[in-house]
Amino acid sequence: MNDKHDVETAELSIWFFCGILMLAYGVVLVVTGILEYHNPPPNEILLPWLQSVHPTLWWGVVMTIFGGIYTAKYWPKGKLF
Amino acid sequence: MTKLAPVDILILALYFALVVFIGFYAKGKANTSEDFFLAGREMTAWIAGLSFVSANLGSLELMGWAGAAYQYGILATHWYWIGAIPAMLFLGIVMMPFYYISKTHSVPGYLQLRFGEPARGLSAISFGVMTILMSGVNMYAMAVVMQTVLGWNISFSIWVGAATVALYVMLGGLRSAIINEVLQFVLIWAGAAMIPILGLIEAGGWTNLKAQIAVNIGRSDYTHLWATLGHFKDNPMGVHWTGIVFGLGFVISFGYWTTDFLVVQRVLSANNLRAAKMAPIIGAAFKMAVPFIVIVPGLLALAVLKNPDGSVMHLVPASVAKVTGQHSYDDVLPLMLIRYCGPGLMGLGITALVAGFMSGMAGNVSAFSTVWTYDIYGAFINKKASDKHYVAMGRWSTVIGMLVSVATAYLVMNANSIMDYVQALFTFFIAPLFGTVILGMLWKRATHAGGFWGLLAGTVSSIGMFIWTHSDPGALRYIALSADAKPMAENLYRGLWCWLICVGVTVIVSLMTKPVPAEQLGGLVYGITPIPHDGSKTLWQKPMFWAIVVITVFFILNLMLW
Repeated sequence: MNDKHDVETAELSIWFFCGILMLAYGVVLVVTGILEYHNPPPNEILLPWLQSVHPTLWWGVVMTIFGGIYTAKYWPKGKLF
Repeated sequence: MTKLAPVDILILALYFALVVFIGFYAKGKANTSEDFFLAGREMTAWIAGLSFVSANLGSLELMGWAGAAYQYGILATHWYWIGAIPAMLFLGIVMMPFYYISKTHSVPGYLQLRFGEPARGLSAISFGVMTILMSGVNMYAMAVVMQTVLGWNISFSIWVGAATVALYVMLGGLRSAIINEVLQFVLIWAGAAMIPILGLIEAGGWTNLKAQIAVNIGRSDYTHLWATLGHFKDNPMGVHWTGIVFGLGFVISFGYWTTDFLVVQRVLSANNLRAAKMAPIIGAAFKMAVPFIVIVPGLLALAVLKNPDGSVMHLVPASVAKVTGQHSYDDVLPLMLIRYCGPGLMGLGITALVAGFMSGMAGNVSAFSTVWTYDIYGAFINKKASDKHYVAMGRWSTVIGMLVSVATAYLVMNANSIMDYVQALFTFFIAPLFGTVILGMLWKRATHAGGFWGLLAGTVSSIGMFIWTHSDPGALRYIALSADAKPMAENLYRGLWCWLICVGVTVIVSLMTKPVPAEQLGGLVYGITPIPHDGSKTLWQKPMFWAIVVITVFFILNLMLW
């Protein structure tokens, strides 16, 4: 019974996979957004109204928060890592 | 065309690394045929539901309908709402108990139990052909995105996508496909939601968007869902509400969502009857939201896409685009992606599109390998092999199915547009299959001979009507019952006619042949089968309650966009 319990808790949840990928993407986007803050990319120069919106940075923040929450909530409790 | 920045490549590479890892991770749990083909039947309602809607979210949903929204306006939304929601709810509430309690491994497997081996063989072969062709559509669509956005070679994109999907499905079977599909669903939203959000900011909101479209196009019928369907010539699609309601909403939609094993397989992986009933309802709720990331970008393109000289950009059919070098309708989503997304977001958007195509491909190839192994190889070629042998066959058929799909991807390049190709396939195979399955479930007098000949007559008549209208375009007026009908109407009415032919032949042949004894129909036919309770106790646990919530929202949305 204990062995079975250990195996089940050691399984990686689907939500963990989703969380960790979103977290990784969120961090990458936040860093990119900060670097682009004063140096807008070509599409933002083409569409000047986009420059003040900073979509990369804010989308990165949203993904980091959601990804972080799901990664922490479904982290596989030290059984595999 | 644009160029990926290093950060975009990093995002794409992270995605490919994770999907392959999931394949290796799931391999250790795919040792028996139940594990490999049905993910051990241990998925929760949420996972089965998201996988259910994600497996459908391939190229047709993303590029095809974004292009159709540009071409036909908001009418394209019908393929998400009336063309999906009622059927998904019907699957969950009415049909799922039969699939689930019969413990069938596949839809052809249900037909074998209800109508015998010939009906199973016919439906398995037609399903196999359809899924392989559909898988080719997904590959081609992905390659078009890569070519449009990045200038990548089409063959290179096709082979990279095919090899990745084949690897993770071959290793982990349906479990691997489902894990990746849930991941892909989340990723599609994360990568594609920026387009409508930023697009609506640029257009100045929904009301201004509608006004701008009317100015650019010179007509106001692109933003009405039902008001223009009174006559074929009153709307850009050239269809009538009877075709939308009966052809799409009843026949094609119910056929696809309740009998196409590609989607039904996901629900069969549910861990209990309540989860199996809830999964399509959860899927329907999410399906209702998908037009936001697919249809809205197509509409936005009508308002905001401009040429470098400031004039309104006009997209054209693929056949014209090949000659003139202009962008085709199918390029709408990639063009909007380039417009709004700089480095980082561009990589995320591209990854979302790739994820969508891969989920479509994985759905097709995993369903194909199941039907091939259970309903063709195991039923007619090698009936007494070991379970281990069937798992190995499932792995091999995944790879071979993918190779055939690659070949069909090259075939699709000659189709006028992705939409034409896919709609034709649905009416050939799915519409008549729905006639057979629904009669089998609801009418105990249907016999084995009736089921087989009805299915064959429906399929042959559909292909016959297709050949007729393509060899003589004037035939469309007879099929759609109007001289003002346009090609899209043909699909709707062809589906309706071939369903009626299937049902008619099934009824006539059944009445002429000996009835199946009632004791052989237990667990297969409504009225003879006691439906077990699904275990729900409170109102919040009842699938019927949530189905009513979803259908209420469905009606409200339709009225709002009337």
